[in-house]
Amino acid sequence: MSVLEKLQQGPREGVTYPLSLAYCGNCSMPIEYCEYYPEYDKCKQWLERNLPSEFEKVKIGDDGGSVEEEKKRQKRGGKGMIKTKKKEDGPKQVCVSRAPRGKKKSVTVVTGLSSFDIDLKVAAKFFGTRFACGSSVTGDDEIVIQGDVKDDLFDVIPEKWPEIDEDLIEDLGDQKR
Amino acid sequence: MFKKFDEKESISGVLQLKSSVQKGIRTKLIESYPYLENHIDNILPKKDALRIVKCHDHIEIIVNTAGDLLFFRHREGQWMPTLRLYHKYPFFLPMQQVDKGAIRFVLSGANIMCPGLTSPGAQMTTVPKDTIVAIMAEGKDHALAIGKTTLSTDDIAKVNKGIGVENCHYLNDGLWHMKPVK
Ligand SMILES: [Zn+2]
Repeated sequence: MSVLEKLQQGPREGVTYPLSLAYCGNCSMPIEYCEYYPEYDKCKQWLERNLPSEFEKVKIGDDGGSVEEEKKRQKRGGKGMIKTKKKEDGPKQVCVSRAPRGKKKSVTVVTGLSSFDIDLKVAAKFFGTRFACGSSVTGDDEIVIQGDVKDDLFDVIPEKWPEIDEDLIEDLGDQKR
Repeated sequence: MFKKFDEKESISGVLQLKSSVQKGIRTKLIESYPYLENHIDNILPKKDALRIVKCHDHIEIIVNTAGDLLFFRHREGQWMPTLRLYHKYPFFLPMQQVDKGAIRFVLSGANIMCPGLTSPGAQMTTVPKDTIVAIMAEGKDHALAIGKTTLSTDDIAKVNKGIGVENCHYLNDGLWHMKPVK
């Protein structure tokens, strides 16, 4: 395919859209761009495990070509540094606590779910359905469930999200509001 | 545009769109991108309730019911596709190719300089100033950025200095990493 053909606008004959493009599980970019990622080695590890056929192609492409590219690079100003994605630091942990609501009732506060990349709105909805009560996202990484369901959460959370082991759930006990 | 974008801090609200507004957006998109006409029903199904995510710095993003990020714009500018959408329909924007050496700069968010579009390995397709284009790269098959020409391609070739295409959205920026909006 010539360059001009590649840049030609319009759908290609015999191709059904939408296309589905494989993205790298490490850097999230299309695989052909992995080589520009600062943690290219991790990309390769991911490819080897998940897309072995792509990994073979990448290995072949690795030889040669880099010297020429290095020369081109030096002619340009600036650093051209690609940022790696922000790593969520801090331990992954979910905290649950009970807080009073009015004289007799309590609410349950859950924090830390987003450290597991869980969509908080979806989680709040799930708790509401599961416990048949009100449940809403109340902060950056906080869900409040109307009702005292703290003890149940130690079973419900690992059941719903297997990546959260019961040991990763911290019981903060009763909190004052 | 999305270099410092952070989905936690930069979103100010989500709006449900009225169907009349939705129709208007649809018409505008087909007008801007005629090649989309046969695919617009897949991208923006008529029955789908579209929402607009309002962000800081006058940025708006169109999302569908599933939460996929489809198009974005700055102030009242033209709607531009997200790269994830463009990768699904990689034919509806005029395409400009940068040479290999420019890739890492584009991926770090730099604007596209004229020499990166005129050197051997690069290739332009003729468009006027202020055109939304997809940035392709020498030896690669997929778009790595969405930009807007700051000069016509004729002038880019003539002047061959300074910024030729403003880098609006690139692989690995804040918009690329933004999660579906539920
Ligand atoms: Zn990668």
